[in-house]
Amino acid sequence: MNPFVFQSPTRVMFGEYTTAACGDFVLELGGQRALVVADAFLVQSGVLGPLLESLSSQGLLPPVVFSDVPPDSDIACVDRGAAIAREAGCDCIVAIGGGSVIDTAKVIGICLTLGGELLDYQGLNVIDKKLMPLVVVPTTAGTGSEVSFVAMIKDHKEGKKLMFGSSWLAPDVAILDPSLLLSLPPKLTAATGLDAITHGIEAFVAANTNSVATDALCLEALRLLFDNLPRAFKNGDDMEARSATLVASTMAGIAFSNSGVGVIHALAHSVGAMFSTHHGMTNGVFLPYGMEFNLPQVAPQYARIARYLELEGVAGLDHTAAAELLIKAVRQLLKTLSLPVRLRDLGIESLSEDDYDELACLAASDPAIMFNPRDCNNDDLIDLMKRAY
Amino acid sequence: MAVFASSDELHRIMTDLWTAIKLDPQMSGPLLASRLTVQFHYRDPEGRLTVDCSDGEEMRIFAGECDKKPVVEMFMKSDIAHEFWLGKINVPLALIQGKIVSKGPVNKALTLLPVLKPAYAIYPKIIKDHGLKVSV
Repeated sequence: MNPFVFQSPTRVMFGEYTTAACGDFVLELGGQRALVVADAFLVQSGVLGPLLESLSSQGLLPPVVFSDVPPDSDIACVDRGAAIAREAGCDCIVAIGGGSVIDTAKVIGICLTLGGELLDYQGLNVIDKKLMPLVVVPTTAGTGSEVSFVAMIKDHKEGKKLMFGSSWLAPDVAILDPSLLLSLPPKLTAATGLDAITHGIEAFVAANTNSVATDALCLEALRLLFDNLPRAFKNGDDMEARSATLVASTMAGIAFSNSGVGVIHALAHSVGAMFSTHHGMTNGVFLPYGMEFNLPQVAPQYARIARYLELEGVAGLDHTAAAELLIKAVRQLLKTLSLPVRLRDLGIESLSEDDYDELACLAASDPAIMFNPRDCNNDDLIDLMKRAY
Repeated sequence: MAVFASSDELHRIMTDLWTAIKLDPQMSGPLLASRLTVQFHYRDPEGRLTVDCSDGEEMRIFAGECDKKPVVEMFMKSDIAHEFWLGKINVPLALIQGKIVSKGPVNKALTLLPVLKPAYAIYPKIIKDHGLKVSV
């Protein structure tokens, strides 16, 4: 067995309607007044009620809500949030929302704790000390940001994406409350779920960084997702299915934080940067093509997933045939979830040779690609995109 | 025991290595095209090396303190640097485990990795020339 280091600093609490426990965690972490980072829709829909109530009880000072977080958050948004927190004297952060909200809260935490220029903390492992307490409540099941060590935001002025990576960015507590997902529309349920499935598959085959610990998380996360994502998509009120997808997403998040992702995420990041496509949907489009590309390198691992999922007809198949069955199952899942299967279905009307070149360069320099099990050059990336188009 | 006996030895070897990289158009071409300035910070023993490609025409190598502001900074133990140039380090794992700190735009730092692969073949000769008594 290869030596490994596995870490998961975030305490995870799961349970229906557990958002109301947030105040207890804030108290335990030594907080008095929380900055609540949320998206505006959550505020309008009244979802924040129990959370705000819990953060105003037990002698805690009334929280301050910052809900001006766009889907693709940026430095300006982080600066606004940090300024509000400073003015109100907030000493802890609570994030409730999807990946963008949670990433914004993480970066606000950097500003409030470390001060100085935000760009000085850009990179991997630059942050080397404990940040302000952070409690997160995800309202989608997919990004894994509630347990991940990474935050990404945009610098719209410079046209760049900034990446912050450090185990100190892992939230202190993640509250997994499936009741918050009941109102998530089917399309978003499917798209975010595909993000989690891609995390599970890519982390399972990551080059020399996976371990028995991440393998176990990936396999069980994928089983939960393959079994329950179609159910949650079909019936949003299915609490059991919502619970399973939420927990699975967090498990896949812990796995990829320890082992990385791969070419599928690298391509999804580059296409998303150029065309603002939905991250989960873009992952979904690239997933079968990326798996086909990696298959010669990782057929036994894909076969192991296929067997763990007990895919129909897998018994007796050799590694390659079982791996191909898994890719077929992924394609079937995309169809079941009515998700786009081609890049053109994402609204990308055409791609010129220059576009392909630029996208390949972006993907080749994306940190995700270094974890891919099979080396890929720009020609490979372009070929992969053309097949996915 | 550390691979490099002193900061001086570390600086001499790294300067020779980067000079060899500079003289190899296969490596220096893409580095100059990137116009990056990269600074390496080493510890045990302490050391600093700055590679300035900012004008796109000449690669400048500075050992020790340097006023030039880098775009990317890499921090690591000198022994990790040694293993890297021997092609023995798993960079993704080293990053995940925090053995290497990459400050600045990560994508720019990663672009350089494949470009530098031919230097793995040069490094053993350089350390041999310096009489470094380590197995390669």
